[in-house]
Amino acid sequence: MKTLMRYDKTILAGLLLAAMACCSASAVAQDYPDPKERPERVVEGEAVPQDAYRSEVTPVVESVLFYIFGGALLLSAVGLCICRDVVRMATCLFFTLGSAAVLYLLLGAFFLGAIQLIVYAGGTLILLVFGVMLTNKSPWVRFDCKPAEMIAAAGVAIVLFFGLATMLTTTEWAQSTGEARSTTVAQFGKALLTTYLVPFEVASVMLLVVMIAAAYMARQE
Amino acid sequence: MATTVIETRPDVLIDFDKESQGDVRTEEMLINMGPQHPATHGVLRVVLRTDGELILESVPHIGYLHRCAEKIGENLQPYQFIPYTDRMDYLAGMNNNQAYAIAIEQLVGIEVPERALYIRMIFAELNRIASHLVAFGTYGLDMGAFTPFLYSFREREMILDLFESACGARLTYSYINVGGVHDDLPDKFLDVLLEYLDYFEPKVAEYNQLLSYNHIFVKRTANVGVISAADAVGWALTGPVLRGSGVNWDLRKSTPYEIYDRFEFDVPVGLPGGSEGVPQSVVVGDCWCRYMVRVLEMLQSCRIIRQAIKQMPDGPHLAGKLKNLKLPDDEIYVEIENPRGQLGFYVRGDGSTIPARVKARGPSFCNISILNHVGSGCLLADIPAIVGSIDIVMGEVDR
Amino acid sequence: MTQMSVPWRPRGKVRYTGLSGLIAGFARAIYGMAAPVVRAFPGSILLGAIFTVILVGWAHFLLFEFADNHLIGADSNISAVRGFLGAELTLAEIENGLAVAGAPAPGVLQYAFYPIQFRIVRDLLSAGGILGFISVIPLYTIWWERKVAGRIQSRTGPMRVGGWHGWSQSMADGIKLINKEDFVPDHADGVLFRLAPYVAFVPAILAFFALPFGTYWVFRELDVALVFILAMLGIEVLGVILAGWASNNKWSVYGAMREACQMVSYEIPMGMALLIPVMAVGTLSMTEIGNVQGDGWTSWIVFRNPFTFAAAVVYYVAALASCKRAPFDLPESESELVSGFHTEYSGFRWSLFFFGEYAAMFVVSGLCVILFLGAWHSPLPMSLADRFLGDDLLSRAAKGLFFSGPLWFVLKCVWLLYVQIWIRWTLPRIRIDQVLYACIQYMLPLMMVILLGHTLYELLVPVHGIVWTFFNIALSVIGGAVMLFLVSIACYGYLNRVKLVGWLGVETLPGS
Repeated sequence: MKTLMRYDKTILAGLLLAAMACCSASAVAQDYPDPKERPERVVEGEAVPQDAYRSEVTPVVESVLFYIFGGALLLSAVGLCICRDVVRMATCLFFTLGSAAVLYLLLGAFFLGAIQLIVYAGGTLILLVFGVMLTNKSPWVRFDCKPAEMIAAAGVAIVLFFGLATMLTTTEWAQSTGEARSTTVAQFGKALLTTYLVPFEVASVMLLVVMIAAAYMARQE
Repeated sequence: MATTVIETRPDVLIDFDKESQGDVRTEEMLINMGPQHPATHGVLRVVLRTDGELILESVPHIGYLHRCAEKIGENLQPYQFIPYTDRMDYLAGMNNNQAYAIAIEQLVGIEVPERALYIRMIFAELNRIASHLVAFGTYGLDMGAFTPFLYSFREREMILDLFESACGARLTYSYINVGGVHDDLPDKFLDVLLEYLDYFEPKVAEYNQLLSYNHIFVKRTANVGVISAADAVGWALTGPVLRGSGVNWDLRKSTPYEIYDRFEFDVPVGLPGGSEGVPQSVVVGDCWCRYMVRVLEMLQSCRIIRQAIKQMPDGPHLAGKLKNLKLPDDEIYVEIENPRGQLGFYVRGDGSTIPARVKARGPSFCNISILNHVGSGCLLADIPAIVGSIDIVMGEVDR
Repeated sequence: MTQMSVPWRPRGKVRYTGLSGLIAGFARAIYGMAAPVVRAFPGSILLGAIFTVILVGWAHFLLFEFADNHLIGADSNISAVRGFLGAELTLAEIENGLAVAGAPAPGVLQYAFYPIQFRIVRDLLSAGGILGFISVIPLYTIWWERKVAGRIQSRTGPMRVGGWHGWSQSMADGIKLINKEDFVPDHADGVLFRLAPYVAFVPAILAFFALPFGTYWVFRELDVALVFILAMLGIEVLGVILAGWASNNKWSVYGAMREACQMVSYEIPMGMALLIPVMAVGTLSMTEIGNVQGDGWTSWIVFRNPFTFAAAVVYYVAALASCKRAPFDLPESESELVSGFHTEYSGFRWSLFFFGEYAAMFVVSGLCVILFLGAWHSPLPMSLADRFLGDDLLSRAAKGLFFSGPLWFVLKCVWLLYVQIWIRWTLPRIRIDQVLYACIQYMLPLMMVILLGHTLYELLVPVHGIVWTFFNIALSVIGGAVMLFLVSIACYGYLNRVKLVGWLGVETLPGS
């Protein structure tokens, strides 16, 4: 027994190697068929694949997630309006954008969701916070409203609310056909470079102009 | 947009005027670097006025470690004050002991035995190496390179072992005393010392490879905190800081004390970029020059020690009676070359055994005075680089 | 005797309540019980734990595979909801399938297999596995970093806790951190201060949900996995900025601003570098990018052409910056900003930042491995395996060990982690303006040239033509030579350690 205990590390190391081999082995099942989980890759010119991801989440779970993240979106949007501290506002904005991204993901719009996360939540927002921290008088800036401004803002808000409400109630929404709701990156790319090439290029040129202008202004001191 | 109300925290310095409200402009901020800050080497406190990462002003505040060392010296006999000198520049205790001992010996007129002079010199130079090793290691640490610190401490540890074998202490030695050294060298000390030198000298090349010529390190230190030769002399800077500015002034060479005139050694000075062994971007008087002077001085110290080992005479190690020395009614000022610069002791006797006045001129204290001059207009990350390259020991700044 | 008047609030013994108290008590109890056992069999427990983890993961995989092949896969055309809880398979069908597959003890196992047909049950199991993996990875990366740092600095690193080379040092540290007071400074923005560690930590976990460890070893195979992971790495920065801002400490604000500055500069070259393999393969799906590199090490994307090679280097440098690792550790640079953004953090919240950082280190290494370094494939070509190995369990084990599998993925990630650690303990720190210059003035134009060059190369140079093959082979040889060189240096250093360090160094400090 004592001898065995002395070599316990060696024995266990051997077992460990064996386990690693087994572990890796199980992953080599390259030809492992699983039609339910993995959709066929997009073949050019073919119809969009069946929405495999959506079916993975059962409707109950989906609605639960929708209500959770919809609620989070609303709450953080309200928080964004009532916070007075700029960085707290930015945090609320982050949760708003993030919840919106999750809603996109729930709808099966993975590309849109991921882009929302990387561009707005990950990039723009951090730049915003950075800008606030760097260029203001103090990082501890707070907003305070005058009564007149409150009234004006309330007026704008009411008009906007009724406009949106009217639009929502009167529009005839297209009914979901239950198919082809997710768009792949390849389709996005193809659409951007064929059908929507001109708007895409115009937007790019505009951004370039903005960039040059910003650089010019920054150099002027 | 709503009006912005600036709510300030009580500790934030607001430099706020109405005219510039619409301007895109950053705010100046007062920030305390120290007394508890990892890069200030003790309890130095630097008050920085910053604009973003830019430093507008950096004012050193000292005095957190004041222990009335000079006043203590005026109440104790010289041999009793020696342990207090250890605690001034605690990284170079031997050199401090030596300075005070020389001052007293010259005041009283004691003839120090030849062997004691050699032992003193070996220990002073060893301590110079140990002290520069700490400076080198912590400078790497200031630049964010952790590993050289451990290497330098590994080497320093061996020097401390040697010290311990001779005097029993590893930091506060009190080994060099008035009239000589208080114990003779242990058996085979010189053999071990030679072995250590053989081990140590190749290591310096290794450090250069690891840190000195590292591209990032050169980028961080070259052309940063440049002190011109005129400034260096004008601010009474001494030691490697002065030599880093290209001034060839080393008391061991310029006005040799004790037996330094018997040895051959060079005085490394800061060289302009592109010279042999100097990266292109280096400017004389920048942080890299000050750092490199220390690295090269370690090699020169090795050279001195090797010569001293060859010449080591036999004989007594102490001039005799140390206690109750009558100090004549006279005054003396002695400066020696400490690892950090010129350490001076002014001692005035009044016929009794206790000095009437003891005054120390500390190199760190004088060197740190230039911090605001070079530390304005640089970046925040340059402040540790500059403070580290000046290499202060707060125990000696505050005394 | 009256209480002394002190300028600060006198406080008695702090008693933890609520969740932290529960966790602390639990940890203490576990440690108290486990400590004697750990002391008795330290090495065995470590190896046994690794063994168990691998075995459990493997068992789950086989279980799912079995369920799919023999139960669900057998009747894959069933779509009607028939069973309890909206299941597609009934107990009887499962029993039947099990009997066909030759399972022992019919009549019992179907109850165990019944929940596995639900996607959500499998997801929860896999999520548990991922969370476990994420908890273990930082613990051992930290331990390993300390060991490697120790060896680099001629020390030994942690040696005591747990026995064998201090393998449970990180766990002990974790217990200590949980027991520490979670301090919130006066005048700090309490809400944001408490929130920030989670904003930094959670995205790092989420990134693992799209990171494939093998062909089917992925939680969700996203079409846009790459974009998703990049987004998660970007959001982590927000946590750091919030932490720095909310601490009410000027050094922390400096750390936060530096982090934001740094992100602005490294993210563009990093994203562009990741576009190169995407362009080469033509998909954003990581699994597919990984699977085109199965044909031996010459097929790895890094050796495909000079542009991918350069892109891999640029990506790795930018990834160092994105993990706040030296020489880009400016947001937390110790000698300048004390600790930067986490100066005011302590205890559990502080450890969350570290979990996030080390998890992110693994994620960026994983991205590099999948996109450039052959993903989960070994340097041997898969065609060799197909020719010589069958489909029985032994052949599959050999395939997994020598050709492809999560083991290779983890090994490559660990190698890249080691390089990160190696760099950290060797190089000094760059200054903030130099980071900006390096990223924007050098890396960005370089990446633009690489992107353009790669596009033209892919368009104009025929695949498997003379030029293409030449560069492919040449780069592969260079890569292999570099690797061999490193290995031989390591061997040389080990064999001649006495000569290199010197006898004094060896004798004075054990382990040098």
